[in-house]
Amino acid sequence: MSFFSDATHLFVRSMKKLVRNPILVFFSLFQPIIFLLLFTQLFSGLGRFLGAGILSYTAFATAGIVLQNAFSSAFQSGTAVVDDIKSGFLSKMLATPVNRSAILFGRLLSDVFRVVVQTVIILVLAYALGVYPATGAIGYLLVIFTVAFFGLAWSGISLALGLKTKSAETVFGIAGAVTFPLLFMSTALVTADFMPPWMQDVSTYNPVSIAVNAIRNPITGCNVAQRVCNIGFDWNTILQAYGVIAAIGLVTLGATLYLFRKVVS
Amino acid sequence: MPGIIDVSQLVKTYGDGTKAVKGITFSVNEGEFFGFLGPNGAGKSTTIKILTTLLQKTSGFASVAGLNVDSDAAKIRKIIGVQNQDTVVDEDLTGRENLVLQGQLQQMHGPAIKERVDDLLKIVDLVDAADKRAGFYSGGMKKRLDLATTLVHNPKILFLDEPTTGLDPQSRAAIWAYLKRLNEQGITIFITTQYLEEVDRLCRRLAIVDLGEIVAQGTPGDLKQEIGADSISLGFENSSLNGGDVRTKARQVLEKKFDGVSNIVDSDIGLTVYAKNGSYMVPELVRAFDEAQIRLSTIGVSSPTLDDVFLKHTGKRIRVEEVSSANMRGMFGRRRR
Ligand SMILES: Nc1ncnc2c1ncn2[C@@H]1O[C@H](COP(=O)(O)OP(=O)(O)OP(=O)(O)O)[C@@H](O)[C@H]1O
Ligand SMILES: [Mg+2]
Repeated sequence: MSFFSDATHLFVRSMKKLVRNPILVFFSLFQPIIFLLLFTQLFSGLGRFLGAGILSYTAFATAGIVLQNAFSSAFQSGTAVVDDIKSGFLSKMLATPVNRSAILFGRLLSDVFRVVVQTVIILVLAYALGVYPATGAIGYLLVIFTVAFFGLAWSGISLALGLKTKSAETVFGIAGAVTFPLLFMSTALVTADFMPPWMQDVSTYNPVSIAVNAIRNPITGCNVAQRVCNIGFDWNTILQAYGVIAAIGLVTLGATLYLFRKVVS
Repeated sequence: MPGIIDVSQLVKTYGDGTKAVKGITFSVNEGEFFGFLGPNGAGKSTTIKILTTLLQKTSGFASVAGLNVDSDAAKIRKIIGVQNQDTVVDEDLTGRENLVLQGQLQQMHGPAIKERVDDLLKIVDLVDAADKRAGFYSGGMKKRLDLATTLVHNPKILFLDEPTTGLDPQSRAAIWAYLKRLNEQGITIFITTQYLEEVDRLCRRLAIVDLGEIVAQGTPGDLKQEIGADSISLGFENSSLNGGDVRTKARQVLEKKFDGVSNIVDSDIGLTVYAKNGSYMVPELVRAFDEAQIRLSTIGVSSPTLDDVFLKHTGKRIRVEEVSSANMRGMFGRRRR
């Protein structure tokens, strides 16, 4: 069927574009790496509060940094679509018999792939800084899977925005305006105890907090909120996060599909 | 016999209310080299987008190779090649990769693509640059690559929206020569362009659109004949005569003594005079100017060109950028509706 071959060809195209513009990957990795190297030093004192010597702040923050990276990288996927609309490349594709859904699928696939590669780089770097996976290789596979899933759901927002506004600046602007509040009002980089009460409430329902728990548990082997460690996989937390991510994905990818249909028809 | 492109009462009104196409009807025969001309904003690109299934029409009928643009869009896409008005190549991919990707999207497979791509690179003279990124290509090279991408799957019908605009004369000539060869191989070509000499030489038939309506169609020869007047181009030695403007004096002479003159337009070197049987008028003209002490530096007679046809039907010169502002005033002054 042409769906899979078309999606593969377009995935390969996106990959080539990415490899040939390494500056893009560099920029989106720059921030997480700075966070990993400097932020963790700045806040290393926090480790004392996290559970007496069991959990370093670097180990704690790695999950947040992995998620932040997924967050900002997924937000860029809409700009690539805007590029293709503006340059006329989408029209050029649409004048061929290419499978319409494959255009979108190839795009999502390459976005997810990119998030995964960046995640691996961050995890390797964290490993060098002494963050060893508490749940072993399986745990890290799960982390990567979760990040991919989150990236998929989140890039839907960016794609929908790109398709709707057809403006890369708008996508970037909204991405910037949304990323930091959501990130800082979550337990991505600090525990809830450090927040004023109102922010704790926000953080509890913040999808970023919920998703980060599902990444943090396999890395640390802890449930930080309940201050317990060495518990292995905490499936309750993980499945709760998957539920939330799935719900977000359903909405964002649904909107993307709807808007994409409108553009291609 | 139905044409390979059939359009009848086609209307396109954009979402913002712009009536870009207002009920046009025309038909293109299989194997024809068909020119679709018109001033900026006439609705040419809009029409091409509808015919290439990229845009929904508002009303009317349009078919390509007997296939309805609405219900058979998928089938149409397999047999057409489309070149957008703006050059579209992926600048991060090499020339070869652009062509291969296009072949893949056209559902071709490995060896067939490779062979075809090698051929096309030779044809558009990009063999040496084939493995360089298209972002490093010159404008002309990109345009050639873009054209090649429309040909990968051996389309039956080519839709080209200004394929040579912005190219240097050599590249332009090369592309037109190649289009001619394609057409001789049986490919139908539907083209919009600003280059009327080439249209005159290559297009078997053409239609002129203005403000969303077809204002003329036919063979270049017929359309030129309809003009019915030759153009006599006059150059003056001096721009003034006894303190007055020489053009004004010359106009007075022409208007007083020559009935056959249908129109007079300022030109860079003097005046352009439209008249029936222009060549017979020349001796009298020279004599009359001599008497009025107007000295001619040049005089030339030419039969009507497509430029004249275009001007007559649209009131505009097609290549505005190549016409001086003094001239433009004269031309717009001619516009009659
Ligand atoms: N997407 C759009 N929305 C609204 N109006 C449009 C749109 N595209 C084109 N138009 C308008 O429709 C008219 C016809 O445009 P079109 O691009 O078909 O002209 P054209 O003959 O190709 O002109 P040109 O020689 O400049 O390429 C113009 O008035 C243009 O402004
Ligand atoms: Mg146009």
